Amino acid sequence: MDSKQEIVARVRRHWKLVLGLGVLGLFVAVLLVIGGAAGLAWTSTEQFCIGCHEMRDNVYAEYKGTIHDTNRTGVRAVCTDCHVPREPGPLILAKIHATWDLYGHIMGLVDTKEKFQAKRPELAHRVWARMLKNDSHECRNCHKSDHMEKDKQSEKAQARHAKAKAEGLTCIECHFGIAHQEPEGPGPQEMKASLTK
Amino acid sequence: MGTIKQGLLAAVVMWGACLGMAVAADVDEAAAQALLKKSDCGKCHAVDKKKDGPSFHETATKLKGKPDAEAEVFKHITAGPMVKIDGKEEEHKKVKSTDEAEIKNLVRWILSR
Repeated sequence: MDSKQEIVARVRRHWKLVLGLGVLGLFVAVLLVIGGAAGLAWTSTEQFCIGCHEMRDNVYAEYKGTIHDTNRTGVRAVCTDCHVPREPGPLILAKIHATWDLYGHIMGLVDTKEKFQAKRPELAHRVWARMLKNDSHECRNCHKSDHMEKDKQSEKAQARHAKAKAEGLTCIECHFGIAHQEPEGPGPQEMKASLTK
Repeated sequence: MGTIKQGLLAAVVMWGACLGMAVAADVDEAAAQALLKKSDCGKCHAVDKKKDGPSFHETATKLKGKPDAEAEVFKHITAGPMVKIDGKEEEHKKVKSTDEAEIKNLVRWILSR
């Protein structure tokens, strides 16, 4: 008998073992998929983000009471709505990148108010740079400019948005510092100007 | 006489410095930030960056040394004057407080940026 036929014969002889291993493998695979999805979902919750005091005592405390936290309709934008992409590929990449936060937490890089304040400009500029690059993608997950009913906006808002459209501004260029305290240093408009030079 | 003059000048400078420090120290940062947040000032004004309205730093620089700086800013944020943005006039929003001490604290915070 050649090797192929030998293998087939062996499988047939031990079919119960093969079937058992197959079922076990499928079970483990399903567990991994469910576990992975659950892990992604859990690490995207507000409670998970503020599990670290660095977030809870600084940027989360600032976010509380802002329009993204509490408003007339009760619709909220939590941490991941603005800071984590929704698309699967970028989401996974963001989660992998976020493991650096564990390092920062263990090493105490921003574990006091003073350290956090010192690092704030770098953290904010990183977020703004990403938003400038992706045309405020996370803002647009909820705020669709082509679905805005202009006649329900104030005259001021209508004028601003028309100007933004005409000048090719992205959301973050005007709508920064609304969820968290403004850091020192250049704002998104200044950053964009220096990027396009 | 020269020594007396020098001494008087030093005393005035010291007094001025102490007064400056007292004014700066008089600002309740947390209370100012809270009122700022409540009044949505951040929609149009950043601390030192470009937004619709002038930054607080710009305002503080413009009014630096003026004796009526506090009164001017106080009036501006309580009276709701018309302001021109992009060639169009609109009413400046009023601060969301009727507590004079609270508003004055915010004014001092703005002028200290």
